[in-house]
Amino acid sequence: MSESLAGIAASPHPALLEVRNVAVHFPLQRRSFGSAAATIRAVDGLSFSLAEGETLGLVGESGCGKSTLARAILRLVPTSAGEIFYEGRRIDSLKASKMRPFRQQMQMIFQDPFASLNPRMTVSQIITEPMQIFRLHDRKDRQLEAMRLLELVGLNPRFLNRYPHEFSGGQRQRIGIARALAVKPRLIICDEPVSALDVSIQAQVINLLMDLQQQLGLAYLFIAHDLAVVRHIANRVGVMYLGRLVEEADAEMLYANPRHPYTRALLSSVPLPDPRSERHRQRIVLAGEVPSPDAIYPGCKFVDRCLMKAMDCQQQVPQLAGGDHRVACHFAWDEERYQASLAAANQKADIAHDPA
Amino acid sequence: MDNCILQVDDLGVCFHTEEGRIQAVDGVSFALHEGETLGIVGESGSGKSVTSLALMGLVPSPPGQICAGRALYRGENLLAMPPKRFSEIRGNRIAMIFQDPMTSLNPYMTIADQLIEVTVVHLGHSHREALKHAIEMLERVGIPSPSRRIFAYPHEFSGGMRQRVMIAMALSCQPDILIADEPTTALDVTIEAQILELMKQLQQSQGTAIIMITHDMGVVANICHRVHVMYAGKIVEQAGCDALFANPRHPYTLGLLKSVPRLTQATSARLATIDGQPPDLAHLPIGCAFEPRCGYATPECRQQSPQLQDSEDADRFACFVDITKESPLKDPHV
Ligand SMILES: Nc1ncnc2c1ncn2[C@@H]1O[C@H](COP(=O)(O)OP(=O)(O)OP(=O)(O)O)[C@@H](O)[C@H]1O
Ligand SMILES: Nc1ncnc2c1ncn2[C@@H]1O[C@H](COP(=O)(O)OP(=O)(O)OP(=O)(O)O)[C@@H](O)[C@H]1O
Ligand code: SF4
Ligand code: SF4
Ligand SMILES: [Mg+2]
Ligand SMILES: [Mg+2]
Repeated sequence: MSESLAGIAASPHPALLEVRNVAVHFPLQRRSFGSAAATIRAVDGLSFSLAEGETLGLVGESGCGKSTLARAILRLVPTSAGEIFYEGRRIDSLKASKMRPFRQQMQMIFQDPFASLNPRMTVSQIITEPMQIFRLHDRKDRQLEAMRLLELVGLNPRFLNRYPHEFSGGQRQRIGIARALAVKPRLIICDEPVSALDVSIQAQVINLLMDLQQQLGLAYLFIAHDLAVVRHIANRVGVMYLGRLVEEADAEMLYANPRHPYTRALLSSVPLPDPRSERHRQRIVLAGEVPSPDAIYPGCKFVDRCLMKAMDCQQQVPQLAGGDHRVACHFAWDEERYQASLAAANQKADIAHDPA
Repeated sequence: MDNCILQVDDLGVCFHTEEGRIQAVDGVSFALHEGETLGIVGESGSGKSVTSLALMGLVPSPPGQICAGRALYRGENLLAMPPKRFSEIRGNRIAMIFQDPMTSLNPYMTIADQLIEVTVVHLGHSHREALKHAIEMLERVGIPSPSRRIFAYPHEFSGGMRQRVMIAMALSCQPDILIADEPTTALDVTIEAQILELMKQLQQSQGTAIIMITHDMGVVANICHRVHVMYAGKIVEQAGCDALFANPRHPYTLGLLKSVPRLTQATSARLATIDGQPPDLAHLPIGCAFEPRCGYATPECRQQSPQLQDSEDADRFACFVDITKESPLKDPHV
């Protein structure tokens, strides 16, 4: 397998994964009359890179294109534009047979544990199948390895001969994780890997992912809605809005000093595990309608919901700019403007909150 | 809140599997009141979903079987109701948001057709009314351009959008009881806040009672009045929301709360967990099911299974030890 990756013309230290200006568009089927065909820009020109052993957290509004991006990287959906590199080698245009060695190195833990496990296969078959495909371990050792993996993800090895429908939601998710780990990948794309788990098992799985990273140098692209979990596991965090990255920074930096108005609204909405503070908190409520991913924006895509927008924002696309802390907003560093807009918006909306 | 709408007594659900009989739900009792939100939290596999499936008459049988108890909804026992009567109530008076949207949405029908079906069947809407209503509901759960996207198929929606379709469907009939099984796991926090707000509005205007099954302690803190904690098929603690967070009484609850990752916590520190393996329902110990993992366990815990008992303030927990007075023999949470 390593032979097939050899002889790659690449820069001396390429990132493990690099995504450049990638777009994924879907045609929107319309069944209403008199409407022109439109396109859903699920991913709309997005770039990032991920180093070996690093974790990039990816957060953003539901429907903003996170899963689609993940699927595009694994070539489960075709890209409409842009380039994807794995260790400096372009993979978005490879033939399926050429893609095979990369498939082992890049695994995915899917968002929907119900849809991603074959209902007619036992747990043992589910976990050993990828080992078989990539010819890992002796046949008789595969079963043992499967048992070890089950234990690793907090499931009883006795469950090997059960079928997916006999498990609860969280148990199924862990089967998916065991399967992803089975082929010793170097990059795992985790799409909401822990949201179906209770917090104690969630903590176990996060600790496990972090341990594996230390031991094996795994890299993660970690998609999640739980911002506390992301803060915990990610070195860097990217915030997506309507198919684009709007902010990207070191995790500490992003949480301590969020700059994009969408990121700020997001952080202000995290439900706190404490009933008293939860009752008295103030959220930044996003104004306006949730925009459709087929809408065309000549300028900033957040403009309809932004509390500090200006005329320019309609026309000019804000570029993701800055060194360590990249933000796509014309007024990212204008704190005065933000505070004034927030005060004005609060006054107008008269947000109901108890000051006690 | 004295208007009890659902009274569950001693509910038991078991599954017959190759390894023998599994008691997935064991002796679960509770009352649900009009306008109340009851949270159910607990270990993955502890019987939260199966409890709600039982209330919806949807436990797959075989291998499943309701082996004990009753559930009185306005005086009628749901567990012994003729199927025809049940189908009148289900989806209409008692609605459920399922944990897995993809298996409960029909992949071959458009979102529109599935939403329309609900109100045509239960509310007797005409097709046109139903479509208008469906579009409104999608708008309220934050689906962009609902009048166009309603004609899509489920696979064309993102995970969170499917989840919101389920929510729209469940809320369509303005049910008396809404059972929400992990309704917001696939949603970002701004939309989650919007959905929780929508549920509270429904509750205020219709007096809807909500059973909220969730792993997110932030959601519990936001919306629940009372909380049940489940472990290995049993309720191990019942308490008011504030009391549970401020003063957990069961060692499992304590471990659960300690495992919650905090937004303020420094990156890359190890999270606290509960040591040991989750229980194997096919081979439960005679004593307390949490004993192998419990730092407070005494020899008594191995002999007998603790029952829910009253405490001063009517909150209940099933544990022999008063953890507010004892310190753990070994600290299991490191
Ligand atoms: N096969 C498809 N056909 C048409 N549209 C699609 C398809 N898959 C995704 N989309 C659309 O692309 C957009 C992005 O979807 P995606 O699943 O990537 O979102 P997401 O960020 O993962 O959201 P969530 O957090 O809810 O899972 C959505 O508007 C969705 O409806
Ligand atoms: N069809 C089935 N056959 C056999 N066992 C089952 C079946 N359905 C559920 N179980 C078992 O019943 C137990 C309770 O499952 P349930 O789905 O209620 O868990 P849960 O508390 O909802 O967990 P989660 O938080 O992971 O969703 C689990 O141990 C599961 O393995
Ligand atoms: S560029 Fe303008 S509209 Fe966009 S986020 Fe910044 S201020 Fe708001
Ligand atoms: S009864 Fe004993 S083993 Fe069970 S939770 Fe209480 S102290 Fe722990
Ligand atoms: Mg997704
Ligand atoms: Mg469940």
